[in-house]
Amino acid sequence: MRVLCCLDGTNIEALSKAITTMLRPDTLAIGLLYVIDSGPHGEMERQRERFLRQAELAPGRREQLRQAEEASAQDILEEGSRNLAGAERLQRRGRPEREIVNCAVEWNADLILLCPRTTYGSKPTIGPKSVGRVARFVLDHAACPVLLVRPITREPFPIPR
Amino acid sequence: MFLFFHLSALTRTLLVSLIAIVTLAGIMIRPFKLDEARIALAGAGLLLLLGLINPLDAAIVLLKDWNVFFFFLGMMALSSLAEAAGLFDWLAVQAARLSSGSSRRLLFNTFLLGSLISMVLSNDATALILTPIVYTLVTRLRLPVLPFLFACTFIADTASFLLPVSNPINIIVLSTFSLDLWTYVRLLFIPSLVVISINMIVFFILYRRQLGGRFDIKRLSEAATIRHSTYFRYTCVVLPGIALAYIIASAFQFPLSIVALAGAALLLIGAVGWKQMNAREVSRHISWSIFGFIAGMFIVVRAVEETNLTAQFGQLLLHLSGGGSFGAVMIGTAGAALGTNLINNVPMAVVLTSALQGVQHASTTTRLGFIAATIFGCDLGPNLTTVGSLATILWLLILRRRNLEVSGLDYFKVGILVTPLMLLAGSLTIWLLLR
Repeated sequence: MRVLCCLDGTNIEALSKAITTMLRPDTLAIGLLYVIDSGPHGEMERQRERFLRQAELAPGRREQLRQAEEASAQDILEEGSRNLAGAERLQRRGRPEREIVNCAVEWNADLILLCPRTTYGSKPTIGPKSVGRVARFVLDHAACPVLLVRPITREPFPIPR
Repeated sequence: MFLFFHLSALTRTLLVSLIAIVTLAGIMIRPFKLDEARIALAGAGLLLLLGLINPLDAAIVLLKDWNVFFFFLGMMALSSLAEAAGLFDWLAVQAARLSSGSSRRLLFNTFLLGSLISMVLSNDATALILTPIVYTLVTRLRLPVLPFLFACTFIADTASFLLPVSNPINIIVLSTFSLDLWTYVRLLFIPSLVVISINMIVFFILYRRQLGGRFDIKRLSEAATIRHSTYFRYTCVVLPGIALAYIIASAFQFPLSIVALAGAALLLIGAVGWKQMNAREVSRHISWSIFGFIAGMFIVVRAVEETNLTAQFGQLLLHLSGGGSFGAVMIGTAGAALGTNLINNVPMAVVLTSALQGVQHASTTTRLGFIAATIFGCDLGPNLTTVGSLATILWLLILRRRNLEVSGLDYFKVGILVTPLMLLAGSLTIWLLLR
């Protein structure tokens, strides 16, 4: 089975734990995908247009941004490889939700593994907004099964009946 | 000049109004992706061609506002020269180091840094130079990008009325209504602090979940970007001197453009001396089309002024305000803020400045209320949609309907939540300070 793990820089431990506990890692072909989000570039371009400037950043600054993004992506994939040895590294650039869906098809994934939303040091939440935009899109559009991984929580239970 | 036949006052007014409206609509919609400068210049050119404004009048308007043009020039040159020194990169790295690994503290420091840069080098520098630097920084630190990106965008405008030099819009308004530094600071500095605080509080609440983590400062070790340490130190000495000169010049109502240009010249001497940047490279960082845009708008608005329409608009504002300071601040703020989101804030400031000449006979507090509210609304208003205009937002909403995810809407959501709050709190503070 080909499993595509979608990394976001905070979820590698959760994903690798899910693989080792729920699946049989020795029978899997694992792909580690990290997508460099192109959204912020759009925001910066719009901002520049508002200030009546050319949308594109100066080449030097653009290169600086690209290097930072590449370094961060490599760092995240490296961390992923340390946790899931032998996994294939995949890196894309664009809108994350679309790239994940397209990459899963290109890579012939049988299963997509991702977390419902990125949690930066805070506890994962459950409830109506527990599934983020990217995970929601992937659930809606992926051509293969999708496994959402989140830690076990008991705090807000029982839910009022 | 080509209209050799006599035009009645009504026909003239209608023609001028039509051209002005079409020009403003063009700036708003930007057909065929035409840039705003061409549209504004086309409007001005048409008025001149049809003889609806005297070329001599147009030239006088442009010469009279030399301070605005030179301030834009000096401001853009100063920012690009400071950027070449690596000052902004260095400041951003220091902000990260002083955060002791806390994301929350880094956001707080980003707000402080953005405020400082906006205050001294204008909001352009924060929005256009600091934003990509902070983006690079948080990407390297593997922190959530959006809160920091939005913080830079918002604080650029929120902190842009701390001083007269904090936004070129202030210079446009103050070129017509010269306020002494004490009056300016009395009416706008404290409201600025109030709205900065609100901006920060709302952001900390909105992004509380994304700011829970910590970061490892070691990830920044390769990011040092000072290319030439002597030029960097020279810039660090010159810039505070320029900031001080700005304050002294504002106090004595000396043209701020001269300070900006002199400061830029000082930095340029250093940059050339240490081979960091030459005049040609600086000129590449200057958006020359801005001058065409402002010149076009000045001429269009001057033509409208001659038809007495802007004076009547001023009278309407005065009437709506009820003649009191409270109404003046509220109506002035609301009008300016809405206007900046319909068209760009530069034309809105030019239109309102012209209109406010019609309220000269009102009481001092009412007049001051309108002036402060115009600066406040035109500076802070763009945060409502943040992408510049309602036209852009409508376009984004159309895209959304086509089931496309558009992150510009994220800005809009934050803007629509935080900006009305800031506008209300800031305008109430201005009103209290007027009394």
